[in-house]
Amino acid sequence: MELFRLSMLGGLLGLDGTAVGQFMISRPLVAGWLAGWLAGVPELGATIGAILELYLLVSFPTGGARFPEGSTAAVVAVAVATPFGGPGAVALAVAMGLVWGQVGGWSVTVQRRVNGRLVQRLLEMGSSSGGLIRLHLVTILIDFLRGAVITSVGIGVGRFALGLVEAGWPLSKEFSVGALYMGAAVSLGILLHDLGGFRRRRVLFAAGLALGIVGARFL
Amino acid sequence: MPVVLYRVDERLIHGQVVVGWGHELRPDRYIVVDDAIAESEWEQELYALGAPQGEVGFVSVADARDRLDAWATEAARTVLLTRDIASMRSLLDGRSAGVAVNLGGVHAGSDRTHALEYLYLTERDRMDLRELERQGAVVTARNLPDAQQVPLDTILAP
Amino acid sequence: MLFRSLLIQGAWNYGTMLGPGFAFTLLPVLRRVHAEDPAALASSIERHAEHFNAHPYLASVALGAVARMESDGADNETVRRFKTALRGPLGGLGDTLVWATWLPLVAVGALVLYWFGVPGWVATLTFVVVYNVGHLGLRAWGLRLGLEAGRDVGTRLTEADLGGWARRLQHLLVLGLGVLSGTILGAPDGLGSFGPVVAGLAVVGFVAGLVGGHRAWRPAAAVMVVVIALIGAWGILS
Repeated sequence: MELFRLSMLGGLLGLDGTAVGQFMISRPLVAGWLAGWLAGVPELGATIGAILELYLLVSFPTGGARFPEGSTAAVVAVAVATPFGGPGAVALAVAMGLVWGQVGGWSVTVQRRVNGRLVQRLLEMGSSSGGLIRLHLVTILIDFLRGAVITSVGIGVGRFALGLVEAGWPLSKEFSVGALYMGAAVSLGILLHDLGGFRRRRVLFAAGLALGIVGARFL
Repeated sequence: MPVVLYRVDERLIHGQVVVGWGHELRPDRYIVVDDAIAESEWEQELYALGAPQGEVGFVSVADARDRLDAWATEAARTVLLTRDIASMRSLLDGRSAGVAVNLGGVHAGSDRTHALEYLYLTERDRMDLRELERQGAVVTARNLPDAQQVPLDTILAP
Repeated sequence: MLFRSLLIQGAWNYGTMLGPGFAFTLLPVLRRVHAEDPAALASSIERHAEHFNAHPYLASVALGAVARMESDGADNETVRRFKTALRGPLGGLGDTLVWATWLPLVAVGALVLYWFGVPGWVATLTFVVVYNVGHLGLRAWGLRLGLEAGRDVGTRLTEADLGGWARRLQHLLVLGLGVLSGTILGAPDGLGSFGPVVAGLAVVGFVAGLVGGHRAWRPAAAVMVVVIALIGAWGILS
C-alpha cells in the first residue's frame, strides 16, 4: 500500500516536471518532503530532499537527460531510506536517488520521442479539436504511468541493494551525511559559473559567505 | 574589423546566435537583412528583444548592398543575418570573393528536402549556394561555434 | 485559457515542441472564431499545432497576442510571422528569468531557511508558495499583456524589461548562494565540523564546478555514487 502511494506520487510529480503545470512541486526539496510525509517520516524526507535539491540546483526542466529527474530521485531516495535506520542509510539512499533519477531522465527522453510519434499520427489523420484533446489525455496518461512505474521499480531495486550493504556501513551517521555536501559543493560552484563566474560579483558572494558562516555559528 | 559572421538562419536573432556565436565572436551589432522585416516595425520590435545587449539593425537587401563596404571598414564588429538563402545570394551577388557564409538553420517546410539535421533546402537554394561558391565564397554549415563545420560538397551530396 | 496553458507542454516532443499544446490552449478561441466553418477550424488547429517553442510560462504572451489577433481576424501569414518572430525572445527571456534566476533564487532561499533550523515543512511550503506567486503572476501578466497589445506586444515587452529584472534578481541570487555556502560550511554539523580535509575537498569541488560549469556535474555525481558504493561494499567485506 505504501509502495503504491509512493509510486502514485512519483507519477504525479513526474507530470509536474514537463507536462502539467510546472509548479515545481517536482523539485527534490518538495518531492522529498512529500514522500517522507506519505511514508510517515517527513523530517527524513526533508533532509534527503534538501541534499538532492543542492545537487540539482543547476538542473531545470528543459535539461532532458543531462541531469537526473529530480522528482524520481527524491521519491526513490526517501522511500529507499525509510525502512533502514543505520548510519549509512541517508548516504546510500541519496546515491541510489542520483542513479535512479538518471534512469528517470532517460525515460523522459523516451517519453518525448513517443509524444513525437503520437503528434505525427494526429497530423496524418487530420487535426480536429477532439483529436487534439485526446492526444493530450493520452500523452499525459502515458507520462503519469511512466513516472509511477519508474518510481516503483526504483524503490524495489534500491531497497534490495540497501538490504545487502546497509547493515555493514562502517562510518558514523554525521560524517556520512556531511560527506554528501562535498558533491553538492560542485553544484554551488556551477551555479556561480552560470551567473558569470566568481569575478563578476565577488563582493556580493563574499558578503553572503561571511553572513552565512557567522549566521550559522551564532544563531 | 568588419563583418565577423554572414549567417543564414530563419530564426534570425535567437539563443544560438546571441549566446553561442555571441560569446565566440563578441559582436557589437546584429544586422538583419530582409526586405519584408525592413518594412515591418512590429516584427523588428520582436526580433530586437532577442539581443538585449548590442545594437540591432534591420535593412533591405538593396540597402545592405550599399552599406557592405562601410561595415567592412568600420571598427564595430557586425553579424549579418538573413533568414533564407535567396536573400544571402542577392546580398553577396558579385561580391562573394573570399566571404565565409555560415548556414545555421533552415527547417523543414513544403518543397524543402533534408540536407542536415538543421538544414532543409529547396532546389533553388542548392543552385544559389553553388553559385555563391562559384563566385568565390566559402559556404559551410555549422549551427554552433563548437559544432562540426560541414563543407558545401557534403551538404549537397545526395 | 490560463488553466489550459498549464498543459501547454502536455505533448512536448522534439519535433513540434510546444506546438500541439499551443493549439490545445488556443482551442476555445479558435472554436469561437471559426464557429460557422468547421473546415477553417480544422486548418487553423493544424497551423497552430505546428512547431512552436518558448518558455512554458512566457508562452502565455504569445497565446494572449495570438488569441487577440485571431479574434480581430488577422490573416494567417501575419500570425505565422508573428509566432516565428516571438518564439526566440520568449524562450531566451524565460530561460534567463525563470529557470536560471527565479527558480534557483527561491530554492536557495528555502535551503538557507532549512539549514538555519526551520522545520522541513515550513521550508518546503515557503518554496512552493513564493515560487508559484511569481510563476502564476508571470503567466497571468503575460496573457493579459498579449491580449491587450496583440501584434504590437513587442513594444510592451521591451518596456517591461524582463532582462533587467533578471539581472537585478541575479545579484540577490549571488548573495543567497554565498549565504547558503557559508551556512553549509559553518553550521554546527556542517562541512567545517569534519576537519580541514573534508572542508578542503568541498572547496576543491566548488572550484571545479566554478571553472568547469555544467561539464563538471556528471563526473562529480559519479564520483560520489562510486565512493558511497565502495564504502558500502567494503563494509560488508570487512
